[in-house]
Amino acid sequence: MTVKVRFFARFRELLGTDILAEEAGLTIADLVKGIAKTKKEGYDAIFDEHGMFREFVIVMKNGKRVETPDAAKVVVADGDEIAIFPPVAGG
Amino acid sequence: MFSERERERYKRQTMLFGDEGQERLKKAHIFIAGAGGLGSPIAIYLAVAGVGTITVVDQDVVDVSNLNRQILHAERDVGKKKTVSAIGKLQQYNGDITINAIDTTISEDNVRDLVGRADGIVDAMDNYPVRYLLNRTALDLGIPFFHGAIRGFCGQATTILPGSTPCLECVFPKAPPKEVFPVVGVTAGVIGTVQATEVIKYLTKSGRLLAGRLFIWDGLTSTAEEIAIARHPACPACGTGSAGKRPAGKTK
Repeated sequence: MTVKVRFFARFRELLGTDILAEEAGLTIADLVKGIAKTKKEGYDAIFDEHGMFREFVIVMKNGKRVETPDAAKVVVADGDEIAIFPPVAGG
Repeated sequence: MFSERERERYKRQTMLFGDEGQERLKKAHIFIAGAGGLGSPIAIYLAVAGVGTITVVDQDVVDVSNLNRQILHAERDVGKKKTVSAIGKLQQYNGDITINAIDTTISEDNVRDLVGRADGIVDAMDNYPVRYLLNRTALDLGIPFFHGAIRGFCGQATTILPGSTPCLECVFPKAPPKEVFPVVGVTAGVIGTVQATEVIKYLTKSGRLLAGRLFIWDGLTSTAEEIAIARHPACPACGTGSAGKRPAGKTK
């Protein structure tokens, strides 16, 4: 089982991208946490002190947005592609 | 009708979309919110392309720290209102079009009057609260909203067509925290010209718009990608979560 996690913009600068995860049975939140915890700054950019996705973080599964509270419940399946990105704000 | 000078000026692009396309550009009125990093390339390229009426709104004064990216403004403009600087440059670029530069802060109270009868709103802002306001105004008026945003070497853009594509709040329902964002001028150049390209395509009915697609540019790796974006049924701006009824949207 393989799931691809793609980070964008600042998250990519902090954590890299196109990370393949092999563990089965994880929720989106747990999968992303497992990857992000390797770098504190990256983890803190995405998750709050309660381990929840920060409210502005955009989570997508196979191109469809997942509400951040639901990301703690949705379990990933083989072949899924998870995209995590911040709204870029500057102009 | 075009003058001899206009024919000569635009001949390399009428090869692409004909006199008819050029006429559409000339008749159009485009509203650009912001004369900063994104607003600079957007306004310059729309002016030289011959968009007949361009309104630019900005409240700021040119600061030295703007000069690394805001190419509408030069050293001699430091301390001037951005609107004064912008109107001077844009008139120099194209004396055959009408430029309105309005020195004010865009707010809920004035946004409808500012946008007036414009055919499209271009997002050259640096914050989400005003972007949300522009997004809702575009939805109300049934005109397109050309979104763009930048940070560092990265940027994003999408074209919102009321009634057919997701709106800004469908995709980005929550504003990120405010920050003094790092940025290099070329990123504003890339994203601003993508937005201006979208405007020209929309007005001349050329190509395929960034409708329902989020364009994501990563300058550090020189990669461009797109993410398909979907309408959010309960979106507070365009979905069932919105208080008033939105018009279906006029299509050009």
